[in-house]
Amino acid sequence: MLGYLLKRLIQMILVLWIVSVIVFMMMSFTGDPVFMVVPIDATDAEIAQARRLLGLDESLLVQYWKFISSLVQGDFGRSYVFRQPAMTLILERLPATVEMVLVAMVLAVIVAIPLGVYAGANPNGRISRTIMAGSLLGISLPGFWVGMVLIYLFAVHWGVFPSSGRGDTGEIFGLRISLLTLDGWHHIALPAITLSLATMAILLRMTRAGMMEVSRQDFMKFARAKGVTRKDVLYRHGLKNALIPVVTIFGLQLGDLIAFATITETIFSWPGMGKLLIDSIYRADRPVIVVYLMLVALIFVVINFLVDLVYTLIDPRITLK
Amino acid sequence: MKYLSQSALRAGAVGVAILAATGAVAQEKSVTIGLTADPSHLYPLAGEELSSNIMYYHLYDPLVKRSADLTFGPGLAESWENVDDTTWRFKLREGVTFHNGNAFTADDVVFTVNKARESIRPDLVANIAEIKAIDDLTVEITTPQPYAVLPNDLAEVLILDEEYTTETGDEQMDLKPMGTGPYMLEEWIKEEKLVLSAFDEYWAGAPKIKTVTFRPITNPATRTAALLTGEVDVIQDLAVRDVERVRNEEGFEVITRPSLLNVVLAMDTREKSPTIEGDNPMTDQRVREAIARAIDVDAINKIVMNGLATPSEQFVPASHTGYVDGMNFREMYPMDIEKSKELLAEAGYPDGFTMTLDATNNRYVNDAQIAQALASMLAKVGITLNLNIMPKSNFWGYIRVPTENSSFIMSGWDVPAGDAGSMYGALFYTRDKREGYGQVNRGSFSNAELDKLVDEADATPSLEKRDEILQEATKLLMAEIPMIPLHYEQDIYGVRDGVTLEPRTDKFIWAYDMDVE
Repeated sequence: MLGYLLKRLIQMILVLWIVSVIVFMMMSFTGDPVFMVVPIDATDAEIAQARRLLGLDESLLVQYWKFISSLVQGDFGRSYVFRQPAMTLILERLPATVEMVLVAMVLAVIVAIPLGVYAGANPNGRISRTIMAGSLLGISLPGFWVGMVLIYLFAVHWGVFPSSGRGDTGEIFGLRISLLTLDGWHHIALPAITLSLATMAILLRMTRAGMMEVSRQDFMKFARAKGVTRKDVLYRHGLKNALIPVVTIFGLQLGDLIAFATITETIFSWPGMGKLLIDSIYRADRPVIVVYLMLVALIFVVINFLVDLVYTLIDPRITLK
Repeated sequence: MKYLSQSALRAGAVGVAILAATGAVAQEKSVTIGLTADPSHLYPLAGEELSSNIMYYHLYDPLVKRSADLTFGPGLAESWENVDDTTWRFKLREGVTFHNGNAFTADDVVFTVNKARESIRPDLVANIAEIKAIDDLTVEITTPQPYAVLPNDLAEVLILDEEYTTETGDEQMDLKPMGTGPYMLEEWIKEEKLVLSAFDEYWAGAPKIKTVTFRPITNPATRTAALLTGEVDVIQDLAVRDVERVRNEEGFEVITRPSLLNVVLAMDTREKSPTIEGDNPMTDQRVREAIARAIDVDAINKIVMNGLATPSEQFVPASHTGYVDGMNFREMYPMDIEKSKELLAEAGYPDGFTMTLDATNNRYVNDAQIAQALASMLAKVGITLNLNIMPKSNFWGYIRVPTENSSFIMSGWDVPAGDAGSMYGALFYTRDKREGYGQVNRGSFSNAELDKLVDEADATPSLEKRDEILQEATKLLMAEIPMIPLHYEQDIYGVRDGVTLEPRTDKFIWAYDMDVE
């Protein structure tokens, strides 16, 4: 187990390093940040002064070296645009993204697992077919369209939910959390639903497929013959065995949602880090983009590790080596 | 509007509770404004972009104030006079204090100007040679040469508190701004909201609206929705496609105003141009006229812009010095395909030629669509346009002067200083001839007569004389056509009934002049 942890740690550092190199090199193609902060009729001398003040007057290699050596010392660089530390900018926005993603994930699981089990156990029923058709819609409708429709219906037309923003927040350990206030829940509902639909549909379909696969196996029939109730057979014996691929997908989706909640955040003006990423790309704000993508890579690596741990809990036959 | 009434009820209930608890409290006016973007800075020397500029002017004051229609009047300076052709004396307003109670003095002005020189915005004070404090309330500014429009330039220099700024440090100034402006920063939760509260000791009188909340709502459709649900009272840049929708909704109003932003086409006039094979046809003035005559600006306005643009008559709007009354580019070169083909044939290009148009897709209203329309219009006279369309973060570096990539560029230009001189000096002055001039001359246009006129204007201390000289320059440029002016964009605001908003030509939303019912 210790060997396994060490191996994962080295892997993780390698991944982060590669991400930093790729992103840093790619950044040189995405526009010159100097032109985002100087007026368009700036003279050469003014542009040079700005370049010097931003530390952009050196070669890309030197810039990278400076970036990586201060990174090792825990300094993630400063945003060219906001002049604040890049990490602070991102961490300020992290809670908003994470809470929206968590609500979306919980919603997805609560809806998807029971419906998936039901559809898997009764593959030919009319209700099952309706569920499956619905899940197909959930996968194929683009998120921004769903978001706009929800805003139109629930905010503009019926006026039951606000269209945008985060509303009142409560504070816990210095973090501002929407989930602590009624107004916060009121604001998070539409974006979380929008974000959860695709994941919900995917989890539902995976659960159903797993259940159908498991149902054909002998131990299920045997358990039923032994007199275990239908519900227990489905949830205790069946679901547990059908869950491994679902957990994998869950992990991937979780990372995905944190990294790419961008569109939902933009549509609902949700002040999370996805919106920061988009703004930073528009403004060629390299330090923020690099640190953001490295953080996302880190999140993926950690989630994958946790997924592996969960496997061993679900199925004791799996061991980590 | 169920949501509206619910929140109104809730607000009412809270109000009643507060009243009961504290006795009678007068209803304080507040307004919530939906912006297209969160400001990047609250420190005026950190960078410039519209959302930040809007905040700067609420928090800080310049010596000279620019009004909504581009006239310039007293701000922190009560009056000014020319001591001689290159020396100005500014008398400062007495009894002005910063939000922290510090008195405003001449030293703060000197400090600010010197601070700007070392910052990312040295351009703000480029025309100031020296500044010194004569006494507490008088400053003297010298310019390297006579410069009639110095007060206009000073409208963009926002005065910092020397003591506070030095103590706080540049980087913290974004989070803890300190000025003499009508509003103070109450709270800034990035990307979520920025709240300003009234500075009741403001020298021009306490603001009517006590609390102003700015909310960044990037997505145009969401911005419209937030207005319609009553979450915000005013939105900036109402999407062109939502204009009818909001107009037809009861309780809402659409306010439009032509902006200063002139969308223009720059043509390369060098012998060889990067995207043209062989010699560059656009060195020939007839070819430039042929291109101008092939473009139907009215059609672009009607089809691409939904009628929400104002075709430009000249390079600067009528409010500016240098504008020639009654002169109209559209009347001088009306669209005429036959005439255009004739001119091309005369110049030796009966079959036209091929070049690339560089344009943005996220900077101007419907910019990519305008570029496509231009391509199909020019195709009719035989000029094939390859479109090279990119986001603005790549664009400005790509078209940088001297441009190594471009022959034909669509960009925009506005001059909030109200004067054609700086624009002509930057866009049309022969490059590398005089420092600070021709720095954005993207077509490498060079005309000795124009250079002379710009020099002359800049050396003229009298504003009337300057206007006359710049009018000559305008006539010359309209005849030579180094650039084709297309249209001024329209600024479009959505407001709920009961909100008084007078849009400014410089696009600043200015809560001090607003009112709400």
